[in-house]
Amino acid sequence: MTTSPPPPFDPELAAALAVMGEQAPTTLLPEWIPMVRGLGDDGPFDLPTNEDLSRNGAFEVEERTVPGPEGAPDISLLICRPTAAPGPRPVLYHSHGGGFVLGNNRLGLGVTMEWAAELGLVVVSVEYRLAPEHPNPAPVEDCYAGLLWTAENAKEIGGDPDRIILAGGSAGGGLSAALALLARDRKGPRPIGQMLLCPMLDDRNDTPSTYQMAGLGVWDRTANETGWSALLGEARGTADVSPYASPARAEDLSGLPPAFIDVGSAETFRDEDVAYASRIWQSGGQAELHVWPGGFHAFDDLAPQAALSQDARAARLRWLHRLLGE
Amino acid sequence: MEELAGRLAALDPDAGAAVQVIAYFDRLVEGRAGLEALVRGAAVLSGCPARLVDKTRQVRVRVEPDGRRRDENGPVRPEWPSVPLTPGGAPAVWLERTGPRTVVDAMVLERTASAARHVLDRTRGRAPVHGPADDPALLETVLDPTAAEAARLHAARGLGLDPDGRARAIALRGGPQMQASLSLASGERALVQPVPGPEFTDESRLGVGPAVPVLELPRSWSAARTALRFTAEGTDQDPGPRIVHADELGTLALLAVVVTPGTEPPPDVRALDQAAAASPWLLPTLYAVITSPSRRTAATALNVHHSTLQDRLAHAESLLGWPVRTPQGHLRLQLALAARLLTRNQL
Repeated sequence: MTTSPPPPFDPELAAALAVMGEQAPTTLLPEWIPMVRGLGDDGPFDLPTNEDLSRNGAFEVEERTVPGPEGAPDISLLICRPTAAPGPRPVLYHSHGGGFVLGNNRLGLGVTMEWAAELGLVVVSVEYRLAPEHPNPAPVEDCYAGLLWTAENAKEIGGDPDRIILAGGSAGGGLSAALALLARDRKGPRPIGQMLLCPMLDDRNDTPSTYQMAGLGVWDRTANETGWSALLGEARGTADVSPYASPARAEDLSGLPPAFIDVGSAETFRDEDVAYASRIWQSGGQAELHVWPGGFHAFDDLAPQAALSQDARAARLRWLHRLLGE
Repeated sequence: MEELAGRLAALDPDAGAAVQVIAYFDRLVEGRAGLEALVRGAAVLSGCPARLVDKTRQVRVRVEPDGRRRDENGPVRPEWPSVPLTPGGAPAVWLERTGPRTVVDAMVLERTASAARHVLDRTRGRAPVHGPADDPALLETVLDPTAAEAARLHAARGLGLDPDGRARAIALRGGPQMQASLSLASGERALVQPVPGPEFTDESRLGVGPAVPVLELPRSWSAARTALRFTAEGTDQDPGPRIVHADELGTLALLAVVVTPGTEPPPDVRALDQAAAASPWLLPTLYAVITSPSRRTAATALNVHHSTLQDRLAHAESLLGWPVRTPQGHLRLQLALAARLLTRNQL
């Protein structure tokens, strides 16, 4: 496939990328996964501690073990409850990113807790099994089991079971989209929104943006192949892939909760994310799509000070305010 | 992958950090980033609020280390590390912190100022020349009546001027050097501005030449230099206008031809200088009188009572030896004050 060069990075993001070097790796090969996981206690990530999550006592932080999928081990949920908010509060059910192969349920929670603090949300972040040791459907079924427990036990953790919002970034965005499909098809919990932040949605890895970003930015085409192949093995890219693993494969996107989708124009996931939003609209659904010009993957997290990052973060918060009507 | 480790704020405070500072600003410049991005870079890389103030261009940008712009703030504190936009200029970029200045601070300030100068020149319409045109040799050529027309047109294009358009030359003296200009051995500086162009402000004394076709810029330059000779510091010791437009001089410009370097000051100028030496109030008082619509407004401008002004003028007349309150005496006084500037401002 011949492709044009990608859109230029936003100047501030390009500058940040220039100084981050290996802290913002472009690619990931399968044989690097053990090494990357082994970098310090948190792997390559700068993860929030319980103290960070409590935000000076504004949240009570608890790890809970709950039943996993049928016949599978228990799973762990990290639960952060606002201490001051009265009555049952909306629940943000978070699935973390990391390409299905990296990270844990604290990854991405720093930003999530900012929304929770502003809106008084209960945050539940699920610890799911990682590929390639635990290929599909282990990750998504773990996430779904945690969602079921959360919906059934919401009141016990100060949450409102009728106001659950699915949220996640990158692979966590893909998992959140899959949870919305699963909940619809299994007639399970009825989340009121899905927040898909630069989501990883399509195992086929063959949109123009996946080619444009080969070897560039953050999470390039090779890294994407590494993540999907770990999850799906030989099946990746074939007709034999479930929409609950790769939501872009879903033929029917109707009857889903309102979606918030954001993505950078200079990242692998641009085209699959734009297409997902378009297909939701075509199915008569509601979606808010933001394509941030010159953004690389997860730019707002890697360079939170940049003007574009501030705008991207503000847009998410505004959507939550509108969704919740408060 | 989301949330990789690595925050800019966590840069190692060692020599490696300085290299990263350079890389950071290089990419901003390459991407033609704006002023806020530059100041944000300074704040993020140094971990303290950073501020850019350019009073003449009415630019004020302040960013905190979390990247948020917050322009509201108190006065600049003298102990903060700072740099000017151009060597020798007034401080324009600050890091809002006290304590010893580090190598990284100095590097951040230098890179911010350098990048901001280019952005200001590019975006604020302040610079009369742009791009490769910051070349004094091009200015010299375009103002040189002996240079070939083709060479002057080529230089005009290099300066970003429309060869079929109009432009004016400006002669400057004193003040910080705010933009690219040609410095002459005689002490004044030259620059060229397209017409119509942005409003030109500067802290220097200015002689502004007439708008002319580009090929006639040497004539505009000559008139600008003459106009500069009619300027003054604008102080009590040297009262007079800091900016003079050649177009507004009229016949008075001819006086500059007669009162030239090496000529003996005219008797009226000598009389003024002698009187001023004895009475410090004399020059500002007379200048106020010739520039005010009435003696009453002159008194107000001088912050003295009307009767005090009358007393002073009577005294001045006795010192000078001619009346200054008659129309003829008023003209003689105006010419004498102008001639006095010409004897003092010889190029």
